Amino acid sequence: MSRFCFLVVQREAENKGLFSMECVVQGIIETQHVEALEILLQGLCGVQRERLRTHELCLKSAPNLGAVASEVRLLCDLEQTEPTWTVRHVGGAMRGAGAEQISVLVRTMVESKVSKNVLRLFYALGYKLDHELLRVGFAFHFQRGAQITVTVSSVNKMLKLHSTDEAVPVTPGIQLVEVTAPASPENYTEVVAAVSSFCEYLAPLLHLSKPGISTGVVPTAAAAAASLMSDGGGTTL
Amino acid sequence: MPLKWLLHWQPNAGASVNSQILTEVSQCADSMNGVKEGRWKSTLTFYRPVIRVQDQALTSELPRDFLGLSMHDQPNKYYFIIRAQRLVLEADLSIQSIMEKLQSYKTRVALNFEGIQYRLGDFQLRVGKVAPINSESLRGIVLEVEYLPISSLEKGRQIMAEFLEIWQEAVSKRSLPGHFMHMETNFADYGLSDHYSSQHTAVQYAIVMAQLIASAQLRS
Repeated sequence: MSRFCFLVVQREAENKGLFSMECVVQGIIETQHVEALEILLQGLCGVQRERLRTHELCLKSAPNLGAVASEVRLLCDLEQTEPTWTVRHVGGAMRGAGAEQISVLVRTMVESKVSKNVLRLFYALGYKLDHELLRVGFAFHFQRGAQITVTVSSVNKMLKLHSTDEAVPVTPGIQLVEVTAPASPENYTEVVAAVSSFCEYLAPLLHLSKPGISTGVVPTAAAAAASLMSDGGGTTL
Repeated sequence: MPLKWLLHWQPNAGASVNSQILTEVSQCADSMNGVKEGRWKSTLTFYRPVIRVQDQALTSELPRDFLGLSMHDQPNKYYFIIRAQRLVLEADLSIQSIMEKLQSYKTRVALNFEGIQYRLGDFQLRVGKVAPINSESLRGIVLEVEYLPISSLEKGRQIMAEFLEIWQEAVSKRSLPGHFMHMETNFADYGLSDHYSSQHTAVQYAIVMAQLIASAQLRS
C-alpha cells in the first residue's frame, strides 16, 4: 500500500474493502487572536465561514460488553433548524517509523448520519455516557489539494446533563483549532502533504501538531494578529 | 414516500409453509394482470451481544431482539429496530462498518426476503420468500403492498383494505392452507408520524419477523 507500516489499516482494507481515514492536526490559540485567524482563513480559503455549534457525546461500552472495550461519539449539529445527528468512530492511528516522521496524524474514522433517537439506541445496546462537550465556533470547508476542514472552537462542558444552554468553557481564553481532511489508503500521502502545506500558512498565528502533542501558543501570534487586523489579511505572512 | 403494508403468510393450524404456496401466490399476482417489474431483496439481521466475561446482570439488560435491516428501495441506508423498546433508527450504510469496529454485537442469523415485484395500476406488489442467507430453506412468505399515490397512513387505509379484499379473494380461490395477515401497528409508539417513511417499513419487518418466529414455534 505504501512505505508506511500500517498493518492494521491494511488488514481492515482487505477484510472490508471499504473504510475511511482522516488526516488531522490540532493547535490552540488565544481567543483574542481568533478574529485575526478568521481573517487569515477567509483570505486563504476564499469561502465563507460556517457557524459551528456541536453537542458531542462520548459513549463507552459497559464493562464486559464487546470483544474489546469500545468508544463511540455521537455528534448533534445544533446549527441546523432541526438538529442532525452523526455517529463517529475514531479508530487507531497509523503506526510505524514512517508515521512518526510525518507531522500529521492519520487514523481510521467512519461516520454515519443517523436519525435523532441514536442516543436511546446506544443506551439500549449497553453503552454509557462517558462525557459530553459543546463545541462553539466556526468552520471553513474548502478544496486545497484535499478536502480540508478547519474548525476553530471553544470547548465547553455542561454543568448539568445535556444542558447545552448552560455550558462553560473548559479552557477560558483558549480555543481549539483543528485541521482535518478525509483520506483513503490509496491517497493519504497526498492528503498529508496538502494538510502540512496548508498548516505552514497558519504558522505565525498558531502551531499545529498531532492530537495529544500540545505545543502551546506561538510567541509570534500577537504580532501576526496585529498585522492581520491592521490590513484585513492583505499582508503575506 | 408511498404507503406500504407488509403482510405475512399465516399457515392454518397444523399446516406449514412450502414452495408450492409461494408459486401459487405468485400466480395470483399474474392472474390479476400484474406486470413483472423485476426482482427485489431485503435482508434482516439478528444481532447478539458479545459478552467478554459471563455477566448475568449485563446480559439481562441487553436487548434480545436487536435487528438490522437493509432494504431494496433504500440501498444507501440501514435500519436498526429494537421492538421491545419501540425503537427504530435510520442510518447511513456505513453504520454497519462502525458496528463491526465496535465489536460489541455479532450477527446471530441473517434472513433474505426476496422475490418478484409486480405492478398493478397504482399498486406495487412484492411477493417474497423468507430464507436464511446461504440457504434455500423456506421460513416464510411475505407480501409488500405499496400504494404509490398516497403517503398518509390514515388516508390510504381504506384503499389498502379494499385492495387486500380483492387480493384475499383471489388467493382464497386456490384453497391454500393459510392466508395473508396484516398486523396493525401503532407507529406513534415508535415516534413515527402519519407520513409514511422507510422507518415505518423497518418496524413492519420487525413485527412480521416476530410473527414468523411465533408461528414457527407453535408448529414445532
